[in-house]
Formats: sequence, structure tokens, C-alpha cells
Amino acid sequence: MKRYLTILCLLLISFPAARADDKPVLDEIEFRDVANELRCPTCTGLSVLDSEAKFSVQIRNEVRKQMEDGRSKDEVLKFFTERYGAWILRSPPRSGVNALVWWVPIGLLVLGPLAVWIFVWNRKPVVYTGGIRSRDEIVKQMKDEIATMGSSADG
Amino acid sequence: MIANYGFFLLFLCCLCSGYGTLASLVAGRTAHRQLYLSSRMALSLTTVLVTLAAALFLMSLFNRDYSLAYIAKNSSNDLPPWYTLTAFWSSLEGSHFLWTLFISIFSCIAVWSRSKDNEHIMPWVMATLQSVQTWMFYLLITHSDPFKLMLPAPANGRGMNELLQNPYMGIHPPLLFIGYTATAVPFAYGIAALCFGDINEGWLRTVRRWSLFSWAFLTASIALGGRWAYVELGWAGYWAWDPVENSSFLPWLIMTVLVHTLIVQEKLGQLKRLSIILTMIGFFLTFFGTFITRSGVISSVHAFGEGPIGPNYLLFLAGIAGVSSVLYAVRAPSVLPPDSSRAWGVSRESAIAVNLFLTLAFAAIVFIGTVFPIVSEALTGQRISVHAPYFNAFAPWVGLALVLTLGLGILMQFQSAKMPGAGRVIIIAAVVAFPLSAAFAYWGEIMATPDPKSLWAQLIGTWVSFFAGGCVVGDFFLRFRLMNYKTEVLFKRNLAWFGSMIAHIGFLVSILGFLGNYRGLEKNANLKVGEKADLHGYEFKLTRGVSVTKVDNATLYGVDVSVKKDGKTLGTMRPALSRYPTKDQSFNEIAVMGSFWNDLYVVMVDFDTKTGKSATFKLHVNPTVRIVWISIVIMVAGGLISLLDRRRGHQSRDVVAGVWETGKV
Repeated sequence: MKRYLTILCLLLISFPAARADDKPVLDEIEFRDVANELRCPTCTGLSVLDSEAKFSVQIRNEVRKQMEDGRSKDEVLKFFTERYGAWILRSPPRSGVNALVWWVPIGLLVLGPLAVWIFVWNRKPVVYTGGIRSRDEIVKQMKDEIATMGSSADG
Repeated sequence: MIANYGFFLLFLCCLCSGYGTLASLVAGRTAHRQLYLSSRMALSLTTVLVTLAAALFLMSLFNRDYSLAYIAKNSSNDLPPWYTLTAFWSSLEGSHFLWTLFISIFSCIAVWSRSKDNEHIMPWVMATLQSVQTWMFYLLITHSDPFKLMLPAPANGRGMNELLQNPYMGIHPPLLFIGYTATAVPFAYGIAALCFGDINEGWLRTVRRWSLFSWAFLTASIALGGRWAYVELGWAGYWAWDPVENSSFLPWLIMTVLVHTLIVQEKLGQLKRLSIILTMIGFFLTFFGTFITRSGVISSVHAFGEGPIGPNYLLFLAGIAGVSSVLYAVRAPSVLPPDSSRAWGVSRESAIAVNLFLTLAFAAIVFIGTVFPIVSEALTGQRISVHAPYFNAFAPWVGLALVLTLGLGILMQFQSAKMPGAGRVIIIAAVVAFPLSAAFAYWGEIMATPDPKSLWAQLIGTWVSFFAGGCVVGDFFLRFRLMNYKTEVLFKRNLAWFGSMIAHIGFLVSILGFLGNYRGLEKNANLKVGEKADLHGYEFKLTRGVSVTKVDNATLYGVDVSVKKDGKTLGTMRPALSRYPTKDQSFNEIAVMGSFWNDLYVVMVDFDTKTGKSATFKLHVNPTVRIVWISIVIMVAGGLISLLDRRRGHQSRDVVAGVWETGKV
């Protein structure tokens, strides 16, 4: 129980404070964050962070060096984009045609529910069944008929 | 010699299924009973012939008949029996052959196990299935001929791709192809429904059965593919949003949605047309995935069979899309809307609809992300990459909404939000979720996540998952109480629902697993014999230098790494580099060891070739990976249990006699 309480306390209060003075750890986070945004040029689907290919190790060392020199994430990414083109970035840039790949999904997630709301929920269905009755109706009618037959027999 | 027989059999199959297609079409138009029966026989005959051809192919594989180009390219004398078998599907022609074989077998099963309720649409079903087969057989005898000869035959084959020499390759591709194949049956019924003009209850039952079947197999095979990547590729992950992974994930998403639209259709008669569209999209996407893998338009770690077949798949894709959309445009108005005007409101079906929307939107995002590099290159000439960070930017949000809606929606009833006791379940679930998440965070060591942003995401996600899990369990007890706790009622009459509960729990467990391994810890270490490296409380010690062992055809250069935690020895791991006789290259043999909570994952990057006394490692501690594997087992079990429900099976209820059966034409 004490264990849980400790964890709950951790959850609720202490963790941002506890992290604040951990400076070297934060640098590592920033480094990983940047390295994860760059693709391994010689492999498929991996970042330079996950790959041990020679090219990736070179890029990784370059990133580390530049960040130790105090460059920000954007500056480092810009450096590599200028060198290798937007291809080196693992998520496409948010400008030009490539903005589509970001805005279409966001639009879909935001406007989609609206469309569903208008076209599905709010629609009052007008149904023309061409005289075809549902099974429920037929069953109900049969039951009614049986009931009336029974009552007339009693009478 | 065998090659000639094999090719001839495939040629016959192509003719036979071509005939079957035409015969069914004419039978469907003119209600000609004899033609209908003859088409059915053609289908069965095709299946027998293709099975024979496959047997011949298998025989050649085991006889190491290198006069067949495919076998010379993908097999060699050193392969152990298991990989001699898996060579069947380890490359382009063979896997296409396997897929065709499965399509024939499952079409045959689908037609012979048909329900009487569907008798009236069977010609259209058979025409669709056999036209697909005709196309597959056509490719088999033209662009993708497994029996192609290479004379004179070499003394030894070139050998199998070393990355594929992994036990999971024996089971992952066949299961995946079964999953893919099974989407063809709903597709055929979708087309047939449009041709005929409406859907009845028998249609729904049959499609439900096959889509659930496909779903279960896709779930299992996608997970096995991930498992293969995990133990073979050495980057300590199992899912990279790779194009091929995505293209197997897309049909899975669609099948998930289809299974749910069918429920709404069964209960309320709504979403009929959506179901039909989904059967088509699902089938389309299975071939889309193959097109991606085969054509080389998008590079992938999973693509092992590129070839000239690509443009043909594109043609086929265009054909499916064209026929489906024209047919839909022309015939959809005849599919009648439900005969009752019920409003949606706040109810279970609305919750399902919300989640269906989210799943479909997610499928669209995955699709966009997968194909966008091609689009962008075509538009701007500039190459771009769309990798994991893109997908991971959307996945958590969609996942969060899905899980929340699942938890709340499952506590509602169809047509009504009012479920007696639901309020209490929600409160209890919300409260109980706190200690459970705390326990999960403690043992899953979530607090060790260095990045505060993802830490918050993990904690919130964990709570929401436990909350939803509590709702699912609570819902189970509420409804079980309505059954007066009679297990007989549960298992005999509500087995499908019971299975769905298990599958939902499995889904939530998988979310917990994903959240746990949102981060991994890793470290590079160069160790001499006797030296230690620490990572996250684990102590890795190189106890023995390189020793050479032979396992089947591979030569392993392995080392012993003993692992300790808190002074207790956990065991010895044996990472290795392996070499195969057919290629001058080393491959990683990864050592994985672990408990329920943590996977230790050791890759030997390199070793000192002179002394063999020191080696470079990449050490990983991956939390909760095992929970992901367990969750998949739970999900598949849920799906299979649901399949066993005989009452929801496709036993005939109200028989609509087909003209073919009455025979009066």
C-alpha cells in the first residue's frame, strides 16, 4: 500500500521537480529527439538513432557535435536538410505540397465528426420501402391474427 | 519434366477458372441451373488441379531440383528441411503461388459451405471469386511462373535470403495469406449483393464469419511479422510503420470496421451500404499491399520479392477499383435502406459509429503516409520520407479517443444509453484505474521515461486503458447478471459476445503494452572478457569470448553474456554473428531474454577477430514487449471464440430458394 501511495505522490506532485536539476539527462533527451528525426540514409525506415550503419554513425556524431556547440534542434535539422534535402527528415516538412500530408489528416479528424454529425445523426430518415414490410411487422401481424383467432374461438 | 507437368496444371487452372467465371456470369444472368452447377464443378476442379501443382512444386523443392529457376534462386543444398519448406514462399513467384493456392482452396470452402440463404446470389459470388483466380493464374503462367526452367541446372542453388532463415518465416507468410485470402469472400459477397440488389440476413452471417476469420488471421500474422522483425533485424523494435507493415495493417483496420458495421446492421439494419463498400476496400487493400511489396515503388525492409509483376498488379488494382465503383454507383440505390426509421442518438450504435469513424480516419492517415512519398515526388520531383514520427504524431490521439469511446460505448445498449448499473460501473472503473495504473507504472517502470512529455502521455494513456478495461469487465458482469449468472446461457447463446469481450480486453492490453514500450533504454558497450556494463540496474558481463558453433547451415560466432540484477544471476545470453555458406556477409543473431515486464535484448555489433576476447554490443532494456505478444494471443482467442458461436453462424433461417435450386427455368 505504501508503495502505491509513493507512486501516487510521484504521479501527482514530484516528478517535474525531480527532473529539473537532472541536466545531463535532458541533453541526452534533446539529442535523441533530434537524432530520431533524421533517417538512416542507407537503410529503410530506421532513424540514425536506431541504426548502426556507418553513414548513420557519422550523422549521429555530427548531430552530437553540433548540439554540444549549442545549436538548437531547428538549426541542426536545417543543416542536414540543406545538405541532403528534405528526404533526410523522417517526417515531411510542413511547407509547400508536403503540408498536405499534415493538413489532410488533421482536417479529416476535425471535419469528419462534423460531417458524421450532420449527415448521420441529424438526418431524419425518410424511408420508401416499396411496400416491402419488415420481418418484425409480419411476425407482429401474424401474432395479432393468432390472438384474434384465439379470442374469436373463445367467443 | 515435373516442371512441365506443373506448368500445364497451372495452365489448365487458368482455363478452368476462366470458364467458371463466364459460366457463372451467364448462369447469373439467365438463371441457367446446369451452367451454375458446371461452374461450381469448375471451381472444385481448379482447386484439385492447383493443389496437385503445389504438391509437385513441393516435391521439386525437397528433391532440390535446380532446373527450376525459382528453386535454384531461393534454395540450396545446405538448407535444413524447415527452410526447404519455407523456400516455397520466400520469394515472389512462390508466394504468389501460395496465395493463389489459398484463394482456390478458400473459394472452394466458401462455395461448398454456403448457406441456403445465399443460394440466390451464389452465381455472382462464384463469378467474382473465379475471376480473381483467373487473373492470379494468368500471372502464374506469364509473369510469375514458379515452374520456369533454368537449363542446364546448376549443381547448387543460390540459397535463401539469410534474413528469412528464421522460424517465424514458416508461419507468418501462410497465416498472412490466409488472412488476405479470406477478404476475397466478403468481397465476392459484396459484389454479389450489388449484382442481386439487396442484402438479407444470410448474407450478413456469411460475411461476418469470413471477415472475422480474416481478422483473426491478420491479427496473428501481423504480430508474427513484428516478432520476426524484433528477433531478426536487430533494432530492438517490432513495428516501424514500414510501408509493408502498413499495407498489412490497412486490411486489418478495414476488417475491424467491417466486423463492427455488420453488428450495427444485424441489430438495426443500418450501415448496409457501408458494409458493402468495406468488403471492397478491404480486398482492394490486400492487393494494394502486394503491389507495394512487389513493384519496388516504395522501399521496405519486408520486401523480398521485387519483379516485373508490379505493373500487372497495378492493372488488377485498377480493375478492382473500376468494377467495384461502377457496380456500386449503378446498383447501390437498389440496396434498400432499413425499413424502420430509428434515430441514432446517444447509444451503443453511435459509440460504435464514432469508433468506426476513428478507425477509418486512421486507416486513411496510414494510407496517406504510406503513399505520400510517391505523390510528392510526382508533384514536386523532390524526394521525401514519411517515417515513424509522422504516424506517431497521430496514433496516440486516435488511440486515446478510441479507447475512451470503447469504454463508455460498451456500457450502452443498442437504441439507448440507459443501461442499469452503468453509472456505478463507470465510477468504480475510474477509481480502480488509479491503483492499477500506479501498479503498472511501478512494475513497468514507466517513471524511468526520461522525456517528461512522453511520460505524461504514458501515464494518461495507462489510466484511460485501465478505465476502459474496467468498463468492459463491468459491462460483462452487468449482462451476465441479466443472464442470472447461467454459464449455459453465456456459452450457448452469447458466445460471440463473450468472444468480443475477450478481444476488446486483448486490444486494451495491447495498448498498455504499446504504452510501456513507448520508450526503451539502450547503451553501447565495448567489453573485454570479464568486464561489465550496467544498464538500468541490469549488469551485463562478458563471461566467455567468441566460440564457434554450427547450427544447420549457419556458423555462429557467439559469446556468453551473463546477466545479473541486484546481485542475482538471471541467466546467460548468447548473442552471435552468423555466417552462411551462400553469402560473404555477417548477420546478427540477437539474444532476447526477459521477464514479464522487461525484455533484455542484446545485439553483438562486432567482435575482435584476432583474439576473440572482446566484443562491441548494443544493449537494450525494452519494457512490456511481452505484454504486447500476450495481448495478441488474447485478441486472436477472442476472435476465434466469436467464430464458434453457432447461433451467429450461417445456419439457414428463412430459406430464399434460388432459381438454381428449384430448377424451373
